[in-house]
Amino acid sequence: MEPAVQVENLVKRFGSFTAVDGVTFSVERGEVFGILGPNGAGKTTTLEIIESLQKPTLGRVSVLGLDVQSNAAKVKARIGVQLQASAYYDYLNLKEILSLLGSFYPSRAEPATLLDQVGLSDKSASRIAELSGGQKQRFAVAASLVNNPELVILDEPTTGLDPQARRNLWGLIREVNQRGVTVVLTTHYMDEAEILCGRLAIMDHGQILALDTPRNLINQLEASYTVKLTMDQPMTLAQIEGLNGAVEVVQSGEQDGEDPVAENTYLLRLANSPSALQAMLEEIAKAGLGLENLQITPVTLEDVFLELTGNELRD
Amino acid sequence: MVALTLANLKMMARNRQAIFWALFFPLMLVVVFGMFDFNGVGVADVAVIDQSEGPRAEQFRERLKAIEFLDLEFEEITAEEARRKVEDGDLGYLIIIPELFDDPEGQVQSDGPAPVTLLYSTRNPDRNQLVDGAVRNLVSDIHSESGPVIPSQLLTSDVIQVPEVDYFDNVLLGLLGLGIMTNSIISIAVRISTFRNQSILKRLLVTPLSIWKFFAAEITAHVLLALVQAGIILALGVFVFGGHINGNIIWVLLVTALGSIVFLNIGFVLSAWAKSPAAASGMGNAVALPMMFLAGTFFSTAALPWVLPQLSLALPLTPMLVALRDIAIDGEPIWHTWPYLAAMGGWVAATALAAVKVFKFG
Repeated sequence: MEPAVQVENLVKRFGSFTAVDGVTFSVERGEVFGILGPNGAGKTTTLEIIESLQKPTLGRVSVLGLDVQSNAAKVKARIGVQLQASAYYDYLNLKEILSLLGSFYPSRAEPATLLDQVGLSDKSASRIAELSGGQKQRFAVAASLVNNPELVILDEPTTGLDPQARRNLWGLIREVNQRGVTVVLTTHYMDEAEILCGRLAIMDHGQILALDTPRNLINQLEASYTVKLTMDQPMTLAQIEGLNGAVEVVQSGEQDGEDPVAENTYLLRLANSPSALQAMLEEIAKAGLGLENLQITPVTLEDVFLELTGNELRD
Repeated sequence: MVALTLANLKMMARNRQAIFWALFFPLMLVVVFGMFDFNGVGVADVAVIDQSEGPRAEQFRERLKAIEFLDLEFEEITAEEARRKVEDGDLGYLIIIPELFDDPEGQVQSDGPAPVTLLYSTRNPDRNQLVDGAVRNLVSDIHSESGPVIPSQLLTSDVIQVPEVDYFDNVLLGLLGLGIMTNSIISIAVRISTFRNQSILKRLLVTPLSIWKFFAAEITAHVLLALVQAGIILALGVFVFGGHINGNIIWVLLVTALGSIVFLNIGFVLSAWAKSPAAASGMGNAVALPMMFLAGTFFSTAALPWVLPQLSLALPLTPMLVALRDIAIDGEPIWHTWPYLAAMGGWVAATALAAVKVFKFG
């Protein structure tokens, strides 16, 4: 079976600005594929070309085995799309909007069933303005399913939502995927990409910097843990350098990304070895230093991104 | 409060398109109103048939030309033809200079010169009085140069009685056209501009809905609304304010629907240019309001100076109003208004083409 999405050497230019710069990837049927990157990375432009909303400058895109440029209508009939920022008619209720959108497709799902799936059955007679942010996004997912699509494309589905609403939406996206629908989503949340996506493309400045499973991307890093030490007194440089196994040290007063490191606090990135941690703690005890607090966190995609781009995710 | 006021002024100043149209609109109204000659009764269109062609008739014609409010035509026209035109309201006045006009010595006619005939209808009583007086004075002036005259014998007024046309009937149809025009242009321009700003159009574009179906659905819904609107305006005018509809209401509604399509297309074009719903509303007003005055909604376009009365014929509201009045007031069948319907058809085609050309979903 052809892949759900096949993108080959895709380039999109707007005048002298290159939004997408030679991107190639494919999405297999049934997977949840994520495109992670800061704003302006080229994620939305890539999706809009897949959705046939924009024409590529160069390259080829096929969806469900169909070339999107020559089969735009056929492709549109078989995919579901949730745009990054889209509104719906103000004066129609949820059920009416879903019926209307469904009427544009040859195959259509029952509005009541869709609302039930996204937990909005009790809101079927409400209008969009009466929904909370999380409910609006859930409705947008329901609206992307009106045609029983084989592929749904979700552009930043959880942006602007509170943590609970985000988790709720993750559950919904998983359910949709478990029903056999291929999902392509963009996000600039690392945790979301890590939790939801089977495979992930990290994009910046219009290019794909890495593409793999979240676990493999993390394993590529030299460091596997971040250890945060808060001491009872400042450490000397010699003492810090004496800590075995530290790949990178961020000292008190320096910046870790955008956050300043607190007084007497040190961030150490350690290689993937429990012995490195043990050795480090022994060094501290030997130097007669008092440890006030110790936090150990595994390396996340955030660190992968930092490593690949040298930048924080730009908001 | 001061900071907020300043910030508000800054925001308003930065929304340049909206501010331009907000200023453009009142300025345009000042110009349009300034052009009307409200003090006069407008220009009277007069056809002259000269059966005498003698030197005195020549003098009479020259002096007629000098009367400012008379717009003279010396076309070849038969008296019957001219009479019909006056009856239909296509011509204001007909002056027939008799064969024996140049007979000052009474060689042929003993009891003085043959009277000039002035033909007009009862349509415009104020203007009739003015024209009748002016022509009568001129005739007696010319004849008195060669001796005493009896003014009452020099001019015969031939008055055609036409069904009484209430000014209100005229205005009622003007209001109908105005209502359909403003509602169609402004509501579609603002609606589409809002849809575009909220990405509703983009959302529709990711579905397989074809663009022509989108246009057709918007136009059909708005035309139906226009017909309901027309029904309400006419019902109010007739049943509450005593207006008259002498013609077939179905034809009136058909012309209304056709006009509505023209104005909806114009609304689509404006929505493509407007960057915000506020700008769309301003542009809609800027197009609709001057047209309201220039197309003869309330006042006759004859009160306009220069070539504007002719130019007004080129506006889409003008043929709509003429066709509506011909059908509703004069009781004519719709096929008699075909030149106006053809003009509106041309507008439909031209504006549809423009809308398709400039319209953007994103």
